[in-house]
Amino acid sequence: MNGPGLTGDRGGLAAGGPLPPDVDLDRVWLGVATQVWRRPPGRVERLAGRLLRSPGLARALVTTPSLLLGWIIATVVMLAAGAVATRASGTPWVALAAPALAAAGIAYAYGPGMDPAWELCCSMAVSDRMVLLVRALAVFAFNALLGVAASAVSGAAAALTFGWLIPMTAMCGLALATATVTRSANAGVAAGLGGWLITVLAGKSADGQTITAITDSALVLPYLAIAACGTAIAYYVTRIPRGTA
Amino acid sequence: MDDDGLIAAIAAGDDRALRELLSRHGPWLAARLRRVLPPAEVEDVLQETFLAVWRGARGYRPAGSAGGWVWGIARRQAALWLRRCGPAELALPTVTAGGRDPEDPAEAALRRAELADAERVLGPPGGAQREVWRLVYVEDRPVAEVAELMGVPEGTVKSRAHRARRLMRAALRRGEPVRDGGGR
Amino acid sequence: MNIETAGLARRFGSTQAVAGVDLATGPGVFGLLGPNGAGKTTLLRMMATVIPPSSGSLRLLGRDPGRYGPRREIRRRLGYLPQNLGYYPSFTVAEFIEYFALLKEMPSARVPGAVAAAVEQVGLGERARTKLRTLSGGMLRRVGIAQAIVNDPELLLLDEPTAGLDPEQRVSFRAMLRDLGQRATVVVSTHLVEDVGAACTEVALMHQGKIVFRGTPAELTARGVDGGAGDAPLERGYTAVLAEARS
Repeated sequence: MNGPGLTGDRGGLAAGGPLPPDVDLDRVWLGVATQVWRRPPGRVERLAGRLLRSPGLARALVTTPSLLLGWIIATVVMLAAGAVATRASGTPWVALAAPALAAAGIAYAYGPGMDPAWELCCSMAVSDRMVLLVRALAVFAFNALLGVAASAVSGAAAALTFGWLIPMTAMCGLALATATVTRSANAGVAAGLGGWLITVLAGKSADGQTITAITDSALVLPYLAIAACGTAIAYYVTRIPRGTA
Repeated sequence: MDDDGLIAAIAAGDDRALRELLSRHGPWLAARLRRVLPPAEVEDVLQETFLAVWRGARGYRPAGSAGGWVWGIARRQAALWLRRCGPAELALPTVTAGGRDPEDPAEAALRRAELADAERVLGPPGGAQREVWRLVYVEDRPVAEVAELMGVPEGTVKSRAHRARRLMRAALRRGEPVRDGGGR
Repeated sequence: MNIETAGLARRFGSTQAVAGVDLATGPGVFGLLGPNGAGKTTLLRMMATVIPPSSGSLRLLGRDPGRYGPRREIRRRLGYLPQNLGYYPSFTVAEFIEYFALLKEMPSARVPGAVAAAVEQVGLGERARTKLRTLSGGMLRRVGIAQAIVNDPELLLLDEPTAGLDPEQRVSFRAMLRDLGQRATVVVSTHLVEDVGAACTEVALMHQGKIVFRGTPAELTARGVDGGAGDAPLERGYTAVLAEARS
């Protein structure tokens, strides 16, 4: 298993002389390889490392599936399309889409359904719970900022620009709780999307307006309650290490 | 793959080619550096050299020899270390060249190492070619004296000396060592 | 003593996977043998702090893994190779090992050097920058071994480490185990009896969640002297002990 050394035939007369016996070429290679193979952390990762005071957590953060470039681009595209549609039709698509997107992002952040090396991650000094917490917060913040920007661009009223943040919190809580309890990211996404769809449709059937789910102030407390319960459930479920069941 | 191919691969980001280059040229570079540096520094200089190769492979033009190019890099690293650590570290046999004192002890030490390696092109020590080189150029004896010492005509001494100079010049110009010559 | 257990047990629903294990072991290579379903993996997972025990006591590296602080300290000094290690297809070999080195809270200055050393030690120096999705099963197993040893652990837990390795690789792997066993406690769970004979200083045989034999490989061989099935002496000892346990 020890790879073939570099010294090979020490006795042979290489031009210029054989390798001096007190020089270890394998050690030289190790020093070279250390620099050549390493992946120096980018600016975001370094900043995260300082903020979180943990290079491990920072590395886990920048490798979040729902914060990778592909996902980010997809989210931006969808919200941009929503902004355009809102300007064209007047229906606040951004406000309607953002909670669902965020819930999906949270469900796909981390967990047994998502991480192929989950069993190994459960034996790590940086606990899976910390990673989940940091990733979920980052995904939430990212989606919130992006959503607010898209909402402002789409020319929606202030109430709508920010109003969906609370339902978003609720849907994220729901998705997170479902994903951790069922140990499946897909179940979490389904819960988040499904829950939101039902809420919007219920609001529409109540008084004919699609935006009821967002603007009805009577729903604020229930939303916050769902968010709190969802978070508490996720917190409790991840208390006991469970590995890959 | 030949050396130029390896360096081209390194420039393209192939770390395996770098490892192959190290295993090919490491031994003789280490031997030459060992003449002027202690073993731990030889390893450090080699490490810096090959990291520099990794970073600078794109600047290599396949015109000259790869070995000479790598030696050039190693030389600079070694000279840096020698200057930092001062002449006290240069405990080496002196090869006086007409009593001239070198200005830069680091350069002198490295030149001595290159010279020692290049001398191998003249054949084994004690052989006729090498003897002429030693007596005529290193010990600076007159031709007549050398002819008497070696028991050959002066003309032979002159032609052997001339040949030795040509061979040495070619070897030093290349930078990397050549296989032992079979000098007459 | 790096591992101390007393009456360690674990149940999953109605199944008693581990039914009372008493163990105390220090540095050395400790082999865990047994048929499938004997409880080896569950025992290893408890030692890796991946699942808590249902009952009994467990102390690792002199600490109690039931509490957050000590558990974190244990995990920094732990190396674990699960039976089924998933991988991240888009990561390279070096990136994968580096990721887990960081998650083990190794000081970041030491990480690149440790990663390079681990890669070379498992003989993957030629593939350090290739993506995991292009590697064979045996190579992936070696990547798994590399991440387990990268932090120079005091407690190394390997579950079926030689799966997919060819005979030559298995020989060098056993040499590596003996070397690691000088300083650390290495627990190797395997159903390949010959893995155990060559590298282990001590062997335990598990059957239905209990340890039915504990001793040196020579002692296990001795148990098979008057007839057990098998081609090799150690195998005969293994089957003899199992037969006894089943009766």
